[in-house]
Amino acid sequence: MKHVSTIAVAVLLCWGGSSHAAELTPSKTPGLTGAPGVIKRADQRFANAATKEVPSFQRHVLPLMGRLGCNGRACHGSFQGQGGFRLSLFGYDFKMDYDALTKSEEPRVDLKKPRESLMLTKPTSNDDEHGGGKRMDVDSWQYRVLLRWVEAGAPPTKEGDAEFVRLEVSPLEVVFKKQGEKARLRVLSHWSDGSVEDVTPLCRFTTNDEAVAKVDLSGEITVVGTGDTHIVAFYDNGVVPVSALLPVTDKAGPKYPSTPTPTKVDELVVNKLRKLGVVPSETCTDHEFLRRASLDITGALPTATEVTSFLSDSSSDKRTRKIDELLNRPAYAAWWATKLSDILGNNEGKLRNQGGVGSQSEQWYQWTVRRIAENAHYDDLVAGIVLAKGRTSSDQSFEDYCRQTIAFGLGNEDVTERATMPHYWARQNMRTSNEKALSFSYAFLGVRLQCAECHKHPFDQWSQTDFQQFTAFFNRVTYGPTDRSQAEKMLAAAGIDKKLPNNERQKLLKKAIDAGKIVPQDEVYITASKSGARRGNDKGKNTGAGRVITPKVLGGDEVVDAQYDDPRQPLMDWLRQKDNPYFAKALVNRVWAHYFNVGIVEPADDMNLANAPSNKELLEWLASSFIEHDFDLKWLHRTIVGSRTYQLSWQTNSTNELDLRNFSHAVPRRMPAEVVYDAVVTATAGESELAKRADEPATVCAIGMSRGYTQRNNGNNYALTVFGKPKRETPCDCERSNEPSLLQTVYLRNDKEMFSFISRSNGWLQDALKRLPGSEGSAKADGGKENPKQGKKGAKSEPVVQATPADVIREAYLRTFSRFPTDQELANAEKYLVESSSPADGLNDLVWALLNSKEFLVNH
Amino acid sequence: MAQHRYCDGVKRRDLLKVGALGGLGLSLVDYLRFAKAGEIRKPKATSAIYIRLGGGPTHMDTFDMKPDAPEEYRGKLKPMKTNVAGMEICEKMPHLAKVADKFTILRGVSHTLAAHELGTKFTLTGNRPLPSLEYPSLGSVVSKELASPPDLPPFVAIPNTNQGAGYLGLQYGPFSTNAAPKLGQSFSVRGIGLQGGMTLADVSRREKLLAQVDSTFRSIEKKSDVLTGLDEFSEQAYNMITSKRARDAFDIAQESKQVAERFGDGEVGQSALLAVRLVEAGSRFVTITTGGWDMHQDIYGALDKRLPGLDQGLAALLTTLEERGLLDSTVVMVSGEFGRTPKVNVRGGRDHWPRAMFMVMAGGGIKMGQVIGASDDKGQGPAGDAIAPGDVASSLLHCLGIDFHKEYQTSIGRPIMIVRDGKLVPGLLA
Repeated sequence: MKHVSTIAVAVLLCWGGSSHAAELTPSKTPGLTGAPGVIKRADQRFANAATKEVPSFQRHVLPLMGRLGCNGRACHGSFQGQGGFRLSLFGYDFKMDYDALTKSEEPRVDLKKPRESLMLTKPTSNDDEHGGGKRMDVDSWQYRVLLRWVEAGAPPTKEGDAEFVRLEVSPLEVVFKKQGEKARLRVLSHWSDGSVEDVTPLCRFTTNDEAVAKVDLSGEITVVGTGDTHIVAFYDNGVVPVSALLPVTDKAGPKYPSTPTPTKVDELVVNKLRKLGVVPSETCTDHEFLRRASLDITGALPTATEVTSFLSDSSSDKRTRKIDELLNRPAYAAWWATKLSDILGNNEGKLRNQGGVGSQSEQWYQWTVRRIAENAHYDDLVAGIVLAKGRTSSDQSFEDYCRQTIAFGLGNEDVTERATMPHYWARQNMRTSNEKALSFSYAFLGVRLQCAECHKHPFDQWSQTDFQQFTAFFNRVTYGPTDRSQAEKMLAAAGIDKKLPNNERQKLLKKAIDAGKIVPQDEVYITASKSGARRGNDKGKNTGAGRVITPKVLGGDEVVDAQYDDPRQPLMDWLRQKDNPYFAKALVNRVWAHYFNVGIVEPADDMNLANAPSNKELLEWLASSFIEHDFDLKWLHRTIVGSRTYQLSWQTNSTNELDLRNFSHAVPRRMPAEVVYDAVVTATAGESELAKRADEPATVCAIGMSRGYTQRNNGNNYALTVFGKPKRETPCDCERSNEPSLLQTVYLRNDKEMFSFISRSNGWLQDALKRLPGSEGSAKADGGKENPKQGKKGAKSEPVVQATPADVIREAYLRTFSRFPTDQELANAEKYLVESSSPADGLNDLVWALLNSKEFLVNH
Repeated sequence: MAQHRYCDGVKRRDLLKVGALGGLGLSLVDYLRFAKAGEIRKPKATSAIYIRLGGGPTHMDTFDMKPDAPEEYRGKLKPMKTNVAGMEICEKMPHLAKVADKFTILRGVSHTLAAHELGTKFTLTGNRPLPSLEYPSLGSVVSKELASPPDLPPFVAIPNTNQGAGYLGLQYGPFSTNAAPKLGQSFSVRGIGLQGGMTLADVSRREKLLAQVDSTFRSIEKKSDVLTGLDEFSEQAYNMITSKRARDAFDIAQESKQVAERFGDGEVGQSALLAVRLVEAGSRFVTITTGGWDMHQDIYGALDKRLPGLDQGLAALLTTLEERGLLDSTVVMVSGEFGRTPKVNVRGGRDHWPRAMFMVMAGGGIKMGQVIGASDDKGQGPAGDAIAPGDVASSLLHCLGIDFHKEYQTSIGRPIMIVRDGKLVPGLLA
């Protein structure tokens, strides 16, 4: 048998991307079913008891069994099988299922007495004889499909049989007018021999939201509520979503009020809203815009002075200018490098320890910060990670590599100068090719392949073979020692016994490095191509069928492994291709989700065919424009934040108050962990601390914290843990939790750390008290025991600037709510201060209340 | 309108409801209703205490001794008789020997994960770890499944634990004390009880101010899950902060000197005392995590330091629970992540050995005073049927009336059983 690793094989699936299957299909297909050449529905053909047709195992028998529920997870699709009979989960492993039916110890077919086959008697009997109960009637069309197949000798799928090409569903969009209306779907399967069959009675149908639309076995949709969702049709590995929509109000279509759409984003969003009869909110106020944009772009609150000057600026382009200004701040780079680090799993505790050379996590993070600050093209940034090797040039010797790595670790050389960053490939939880493939597809494609590791993906096109072929790109990517004999010599020269237990060895390595010695370092490298020769573990993996697995990009071309020194190169080339169905979309969707609380595809990291975007045109326009702008990240941020859609108010109207997926108003959301922590620290900080935090966020602030991630915990910061900072251990955006919790509230209300932030000696409160006439001491709740001198110190020093209580109250509001207090709020607060036992106590209570307010905690 | 799924697979609207059942958000009415439901289900136990011996304690020198094995296997220590005929444990555990009728030893517990992190995950979750999925610790499962009083955290970790709530989501995570209590000293936990000299009057005054200050979103509060959630938690936080009961439960200094000293002056003992108080007050799951059991060298020197604390602390825990009528309603478990090599190594230590390990169980639902399972004559592997960590976890959950076959959904909508592969340990349950 020929090894295919030396032969380029052309595209296997002619339908590539996430939503392309539907796109290729003309949306109007009247008369197609009746058109000549389309094979009639199986329920019609097999309704006739006299039919002599022999059904096909792949086309009819297995899909029918799927539809009857046989291969479900709770039934024979279970990995343990059920009643001694096991089918592949969701039915895509034709060979295994064929064998299970025909060749097991207790075959499910009886060729001599077809009607006594278990596959016919079981599903037609009741609960006590069949765990799954009765699934069909004797002599129904379903029964006949299975019977005819057995009678014909249970023919298997043969080599050379036509292959499944694509699924065509019509209509692709249904706009309903009133509740209770119905619509019928028609599904055609296209095969490589040109034949087309109406497979509607053989499909599975599901709805993505039962509160909007239901679908029955026959493919009939009933709309039950207002809003929009998708109905999904499944057959073979085809998955096609159909949009189903019932307008929320009578304002849909021509009755829709005139709505401004200053940008393309707005136009595309309103196009969808018009169909739904949902009218967007008004635009938000200036202070809301400033607070929202600052928190979202830079992960930081605006300062009081910034708010004041922005509010007093009367120029019409001040929002646009502010966006650019925010994108040029160090905090933008610090915050978005953290976001990227989340996705790439930059976790100190998961990076393999290099003998005493500092924090790899920090190196990786600072490398990313620099690139984001310089607005590196996103594809270049990713290439710097994907294509990275340990050595910084192809002719670098092992010894020089070790020397340089140590220099990076000690800070003697600037690691951000490296063209590439290899630490991604040094992750401990990415050792095997499977782990690499899962992490890679999650991070760069927004695709979850976990399901396909063991079985056909239930909501997507991916089979186990697709997964294995994708995995093959990573077989040669290795991290570890390269030159063992030289490494041993170096160890010996440093006087270190290689047999010592690891922790002792690490200590000695560190000592040796401190003494200026060069000790061996592990590195990311590419092993040689096997080009057909196989040996050992998962290199050149051999399937049961004796085939060597050829690398193949998801839904695309196979690749000739041996033609490349580095198999990651063709993978990276594929990412950069304009028609890559995922790379740009995954990024724009994640960025969008950051600004709007939900992605256009939601969850944002689950781009599967069944999980259709809420606004396909919007996602596609953003992705293709992002590519046209050479993957310019700042362009993307500007485009989103500059849209009217982003700048809508959180105040809703009667048409949009229930909307969570179509971006018709701003959604109040809790600030992310690092941001809320920084916001508390910043709001309570003195002026000198504020300046430092603004200048060096990547080293001072929580949004720039990279080292905190350890194996055991979210690092040692209690508050960040409680507020849901991601652990960076599993490939899922859901690791970050922005949900409120009781512990968060307990922390904010009653933690000593909170109290000490408010009343810290160099903080704003003490400063304000100094300026307030008649103030006599620090507040009670700072835990007087810890800082007994604070109050006295405040009282002793001469007031710097005299301030009125109203001045101080305004500052407190500006620092927390990023706005001036209303007259009523000001009056209330003044009254509270007067009634308090001391100005210190009163002001402390006020700051505490502001920090515990929803208006503070929520980005709105 | 379309809603989307969250990490635990429940729809957004459902999340708060589920959160409310997690214990932290439970109203008293709910609590009583569920307590009643619990009676119908008749679980043997209503709380659990899990003592984790981090590093992997040796089975050969503690609860699974092999006096007849060659010297390089059996080691230096000798077994002693207990108050249960035929049940022997290490001579360095005299306190436990007197109360052996109050616990059961599991021998021949076995798995294949010899790395600390993996073994720890396995034993704390009952599930063999997967790279793509973070399983919840047993404590998180229990806090999700069992109701607890509104002013107490349902899952407390002393001082912390290696395993969080995994795919269940943060709200089911452990409430970590971050420190272990010390004999004779007062003890409190972050945020619980009045802090920094605040009085109840101070807190109420601030609450009023807060209500006044925080009015901006009033018009949409009921329409936003986040805002509704923050309001709900706000009320519950107030309960917990101002609850004298909660603060008292954590303060071991309220125990009499006689009781406190019974637990010894070690970390394990005093933590066990705190666990008793928490369970008494209504917490559902308390973990005690203690390290130092990774004895690669000089194991007998190391055991001299570790065994007395465990011996005295665990014995006092069982005795005190029984005295207070809590032993029947509290299931106790002791486990490390694996056993240690049957043969003593050249450095006088033992290395990682997951093929044979021991666990100890006691309390509600457990048939006590017996040995279940066995390892072979040199302690190298199970003799006969092995007991898997998943089986022990299943049995523990069963004692608490929790169906360990129940399915949750992960973030990707993947259905997953609480214990993926587990069955009840034969003979263990009363």
